[in-house]
Amino acid sequence: MSDQLAAAAAAMGLPEALVQRSAEARSEETGASVEDILAQWVAGETAPVAAAPQAPPVEEAAEPDEALPEEATTTPEIVIEVPDGAETPTPAPQPIAVGPYKPPVLVGHEDSPMTLLAGVVGLFIIVMMVGLVGPSIPVDEPGARSSEIAFSEAALAGREVYAVSGCAACHTQMVRPVVADVGLGAVTLNDTNQILGTRRFGPDLSDVGSRVGSDQMQAIVAGQGTHPAHNLSPTDLESLVAYLSESRTSSGPAPS
Amino acid sequence: MADTRNADIRALLGGGSTEDRLAAIHFMVGALFLVIGGAIQLLSLVALRFADLLPISYGLLEPAANLTLMIGFAAISLVGGVYYVVPRLTGARLRNATLGGLGLAGMAGLTGLGVVAILTGLGDGGQPLGLAWWLDIPLALVLFIPAMITLDTIRHRTERRSFVTLWFVVGGVVWLPLLYLAHLVTELPFASQVGIAFAETFFSAGFVTMFLVTVGSGLVYYTTVKEMDLPLASRQLALVGFWSLGFAAAWWGAAQLLFGPGPDWVAGVAAALGLAFPLGALANAANVSMTLEGSWSRLAEQPGVLSGVIGLYLTVGVAAVAALAGFRSVGSVAATTPLWEAIEYVLLAGVATLLVSGVAFAALPRIVGRELETKAKARRFHRLTVTGAVGVLVTLGGAGVLAGYSWIGGSNSGAYIDAGEGWAAGMGASYDTLVLAAVVFGIVLFAGLGGYASIVFGTVARGRAASQEVLVAKVARDE
Repeated sequence: MSDQLAAAAAAMGLPEALVQRSAEARSEETGASVEDILAQWVAGETAPVAAAPQAPPVEEAAEPDEALPEEATTTPEIVIEVPDGAETPTPAPQPIAVGPYKPPVLVGHEDSPMTLLAGVVGLFIIVMMVGLVGPSIPVDEPGARSSEIAFSEAALAGREVYAVSGCAACHTQMVRPVVADVGLGAVTLNDTNQILGTRRFGPDLSDVGSRVGSDQMQAIVAGQGTHPAHNLSPTDLESLVAYLSESRTSSGPAPS
Repeated sequence: MADTRNADIRALLGGGSTEDRLAAIHFMVGALFLVIGGAIQLLSLVALRFADLLPISYGLLEPAANLTLMIGFAAISLVGGVYYVVPRLTGARLRNATLGGLGLAGMAGLTGLGVVAILTGLGDGGQPLGLAWWLDIPLALVLFIPAMITLDTIRHRTERRSFVTLWFVVGGVVWLPLLYLAHLVTELPFASQVGIAFAETFFSAGFVTMFLVTVGSGLVYYTTVKEMDLPLASRQLALVGFWSLGFAAAWWGAAQLLFGPGPDWVAGVAAALGLAFPLGALANAANVSMTLEGSWSRLAEQPGVLSGVIGLYLTVGVAAVAALAGFRSVGSVAATTPLWEAIEYVLLAGVATLLVSGVAFAALPRIVGRELETKAKARRFHRLTVTGAVGVLVTLGGAGVLAGYSWIGGSNSGAYIDAGEGWAAGMGASYDTLVLAAVVFGIVLFAGLGGYASIVFGTVARGRAASQEVLVAKVARDE
């Protein structure tokens, strides 16, 4: 069959893989064997494509408007894509066989994608300036209370452990001025150096140091109660407990 | 028969144009990550209900699932869709398909590496992806590749008219790397915790609105018009949908920090602009519906178009819930509760899969020359995905609302304020039951995701031979 395939490919000026693929498709559809179909094509019988002779021998691949911009209303010139190294067939100026004229559906307007690109990038900058930078700018109000905690070195290392262990996925460190947060600690302000988090599947931990002792913290991290067990190294565990123990906001720093 | 199957797979890799093969491989790799990500996501839901059941905590499972679904599945699959439509809309060959292959390898490799790093405690714990800087920076660079290829292809276009899909595609592929770049502010040592929190929520929300829904909707426009052979109802409505999603919709994310330490004006702006999410989604859904007017009965024969339509309407529903949760009155109850987890869960698993299947089900048969395997499986995929997604949204969202009210009642939540044993115990049982129901619906949703992957691989390997669309590119005018 490989000789037949090679002969058919040569006769049609197309890559063998494409011819074989088409023959298999034709075979499955018509029930004829692949060999018979290849033999027909070698003999120069009906090409499987209704388009120009160079069109690929694939059933209905000849829907010319499938692969060409549908906006084109005139008969376009087509060039068949061939793998590297293969000879590029010369397009023939014959008209493509098409059915009754039907208006194109994928109709667009003439426009400039570069203008669109400029709009897309400009819009992004505006959105980011307003949405990202705006809320992050600290609000300096003389005499205002601060939420910044003077963490020790060990606690700052523990904050890293808190982050890397994914604690913020379940715990917030953000007390809001809403009824739901009454009693959790001092309301969190813009200068906080705790990890805020956005989900509260477990308790808020911004003021956990005022409520839970370090021994109990170690037990909870190890899996006490409904808390999942975290296998932390002794150093990491010590750092984490230091961070949580120093997370005390209810007394708050002295007013400036 | 095994030999035949092997031969069929080889036919995919050997037939069709290079750019179409690239698109098909994107769909296949995306489907693989969907199964992995869906499984991790389901495990994270189980970890929420049974915290001590799994050796890995929710805090590590959740970012791993996000990474797999956002980059491994959604980004890779939608980029495949982009590579499929751009040559067809521009009349130019996809530029630098080799670079596109490298981009795919980069996204897939970094996703795989990232998941391993997160699960072994080498992530940075940030949201939503939790990647350390040494993975964040290469990923940001790799995400620029689809934008470069798309823009370069458009630069060489022979078709001077732009169908609406081209806007959505250009917007999405350009916004994604820019969003990721902006999100890297979280890696800066001087970044404030408030800045980091806003950057993270903006990236999560922006990924959904500025990339996932934008590109997904654009591709649905293409497949609907193309497969149904119907002209688009309204170009202007598509314009409304596009700019709404691009400009304002990302603000729905900021609503998660409602009443938090950000400036007061954020709450009002987030509530108002967050409405652009459901409005933009509704504009696209309505436009596609008007396009289909009089032809709805034909949808049963077009699983891809049907997927897209369902995906658009599911987006409208989820977006409406997200926008509603951004209002102060609702936010005072729902902010930081599992309601937001429900929204993100359904967006990343349900909406993303339906929108991606909208283009994959239409593109794959044309690319590989095989019929979709099979329409019955596609119908089952639709049923399972929609049932699972809506179920998770209702049950986990309900658990969120319940949790919010229990906090206000000062009961058993994180508030540590006990308003009475009876109240606390009662709410706890209801909450646990709802989360358990969410796990059940999560299993249903996961079955739907598996169905999608099965259809993708089944089509490529076993689909009945059918018409193959061979890409025919015109020579660019300036070449």
